[in-house]
Amino acid sequence: MTALTSHLKLLEAESIHIFREAAAQFRAPVLLYSIGKDSTVLLHLARKAFWPAKLPFPLLHVDTTWKFREMITFRDRTATEMGLDLIVHTNHDGAAKNINPFDYPPSVYTDIMKTQALRQALDNGGYDAAFGGARRDEEASRAKERVFSFRGGGHSWDPRLQRPEMWQLLNGRLGKDETVRVFPMSNWTEADVWRYITLEKLDVVPLYFAKERPTVERDGQILMVDDERMPLRPGEEPTMRKIRFRTLGCYPLTAAIESEAMDLDALVTETLGARVSERAGRLIDHDEAGAMEMKKREGYF
Amino acid sequence: MSLAALSETQSPQSVLQPAEKSEAMLRLLTCGSVDDGKSTLIGRLLWDAAGVTEDQRAQVMHASHARAVNGERIDFSLLLDGLVAEREQGITIDIAWRYFETARRRFVIIDSPGHEQYTRNMATGASHADIAILLVDARHGVKRQTRRHAAICNLVGIKKVILAINKMDQIDWSEERYRAIEADFRSLAGNFSFTDITAIPAAALTGANVVARSVEMPWYEGPTLLEYLESVESRTEPEDAPFRMPVQLVLRAANDFRGYAGTVTSGAIRVGDRVVDARSGLGATLQRISTMDGDLETASSGDAVTLVLDTDLDISRGAVLTETQRRPTNADVLEARLVWLSEQPFDPEAGYLLRTATDLTPVTSMSVSTLIDFETLSSRQAHECGMNDIADCRILLGRSTALDLFGDLPLTGNFVLVNALDGATVAGGVITWVQKGAAVVGDNILVLDRSRLSGLCADLGNSPEDKAEYDRRAQEVAILLRSAGVPVLIETDR
Repeated sequence: MTALTSHLKLLEAESIHIFREAAAQFRAPVLLYSIGKDSTVLLHLARKAFWPAKLPFPLLHVDTTWKFREMITFRDRTATEMGLDLIVHTNHDGAAKNINPFDYPPSVYTDIMKTQALRQALDNGGYDAAFGGARRDEEASRAKERVFSFRGGGHSWDPRLQRPEMWQLLNGRLGKDETVRVFPMSNWTEADVWRYITLEKLDVVPLYFAKERPTVERDGQILMVDDERMPLRPGEEPTMRKIRFRTLGCYPLTAAIESEAMDLDALVTETLGARVSERAGRLIDHDEAGAMEMKKREGYF
Repeated sequence: MSLAALSETQSPQSVLQPAEKSEAMLRLLTCGSVDDGKSTLIGRLLWDAAGVTEDQRAQVMHASHARAVNGERIDFSLLLDGLVAEREQGITIDIAWRYFETARRRFVIIDSPGHEQYTRNMATGASHADIAILLVDARHGVKRQTRRHAAICNLVGIKKVILAINKMDQIDWSEERYRAIEADFRSLAGNFSFTDITAIPAAALTGANVVARSVEMPWYEGPTLLEYLESVESRTEPEDAPFRMPVQLVLRAANDFRGYAGTVTSGAIRVGDRVVDARSGLGATLQRISTMDGDLETASSGDAVTLVLDTDLDISRGAVLTETQRRPTNADVLEARLVWLSEQPFDPEAGYLLRTATDLTPVTSMSVSTLIDFETLSSRQAHECGMNDIADCRILLGRSTALDLFGDLPLTGNFVLVNALDGATVAGGVITWVQKGAAVVGDNILVLDRSRLSGLCADLGNSPEDKAEYDRRAQEVAILLRSAGVPVLIETDR
């Protein structure tokens, strides 16, 4: 038996309900797995929704080739241990042109290596629904999104034309050229995610916990020097700092925080007392006003 | 007051508490007419009570400065209006979900747009709320759109409403004006089934009676908005509600595992209980309640579970599993009240589908009988309805499906209407009347009712044990008849 609080039990049940509704209504769903804490919970909820049957859909990871190395290790181990059907997709055109986060602005890099890559992968697989771990508490345009979020041709999102979604009723009937993004964790907060991980004893990427890591300070943010591909600016010298990450993504675009939180309890305490939002560490969200909404309109997750 | 001074005096009053709270989350809707100050009120509540992080504060102060819509003041609505178009136009287009917790309670605020053209988004928000804050501008009183929103709150099942009479600073904190608006609303609310209406005089811009008690209105002795929200009881299910579990899908796995997956929408079930498929009348005994964390002994409202039965009922998605006694109606005619959400008006010739808990049933014909007049809130005869209308209608289904009345069991008594061609959700409604389906009791179906079984069950009375034995015998007879090729429906007294 689990020791979940009544609040987390309700959230869990709601997410399971959403997974089942989607699996029953869509022809070819896929689970967008991005390795972070939200994906960890998302995967766990999916397994609960269909247990003892196997997951009725594959996992898809869009690999920009710039993820933290520890993320890739964790991904492959998870897939093996759980016997998951994992598809890894990289935009090879972009990679061949060496589109990287150092020589290109974050918006260009993200568009080619993440947004376009995702669209390629979804089109290649012929998927009509993709599960994602996005939460409404993450960011202002996310706060506006439905659980079944319909996308027109080219995966575009029109925030003015969202389908009404009343009560627990999820209408998954697709119109011509429509696909859908499904967000089973819409109503979870960052604190809920960590409490759930603690109570369910879920394994997460070690980067969430504080440890001495090689870093540089750049433009007011602490970046980890994860491999030799990171070009150092004049005068920069990697120094060891005790850091951890609140969100995980591409290492050149993900800022670390200095922290002493080395286990889940310390981490939960630190997160609950945090006075800045988690997306403050995502460099790509600060490009311009409404950055996230613009990326989503173009098909970003 | 300068921005810097404001930011210092308005520091957060409570930091998130790691301790678990006893109560579940309160789901709170804000609604009312456009420009009555919804986003500002909620922004102010978040700002003063908790949930705004430092980077969000900095962003909002920066943006307020750039726009300077309120002179030197902070524009609290920027905390809610997250879409670019919303910020550009200074309006709310779609609902925003904001999560926050105080030392006493967890909340999600569902902030909804006031513009008539975005009413469908407001209806979406309302359907997820336990309680509604209906905002009124003290200078203008109750408007047409206020009445429409109140009617939608009532339709989707909200029972408790806070009438927040905002912008009191603009009318010199006038008690007389406040009382007049409150009386006006209470008289029109007589049309609805709200159980609790609480009026609060407030000023979102100055924060009066939002979190801090107003010094300008000593005549008001009721709670501040936050005091009320932290203490109000949320929606509770009546005890002893009948068991329902709409089947979402059938799960099959190794060792001949076959289970019906779904969320219990009302009541409770225990291993060993009899359950019945509402449509066929076939029954079975509950053998296991299966979850990844191990089997359960009982499951109750809200639990997402997988039920394993002792006999195969041959049912699939769309079926409703129910207790033996108080069953849903197998209906093919229903009457409903609905809110029309689509820009395309109701078309009697169009193909619609009725989406209930997990079933999707073709609509054979549909007619509108009355519309609500948002000036008087009375019903008037009509045959048409269009976007944002609330209508009473009659729907004939192509086949019967298991339905409850919304007033009895909301989650098996609600529906959305789907356009069969493009999949759009065109209306959301609640079932107010049902008629037993003729298709099920057609010529070729033998109905096993009390009178047919009177000989076999002559020795049985009305005790619970006897009723259970009656059900058992009826099931056995049904099995024998079905094996001989006779379609059977078991009819129990309710």
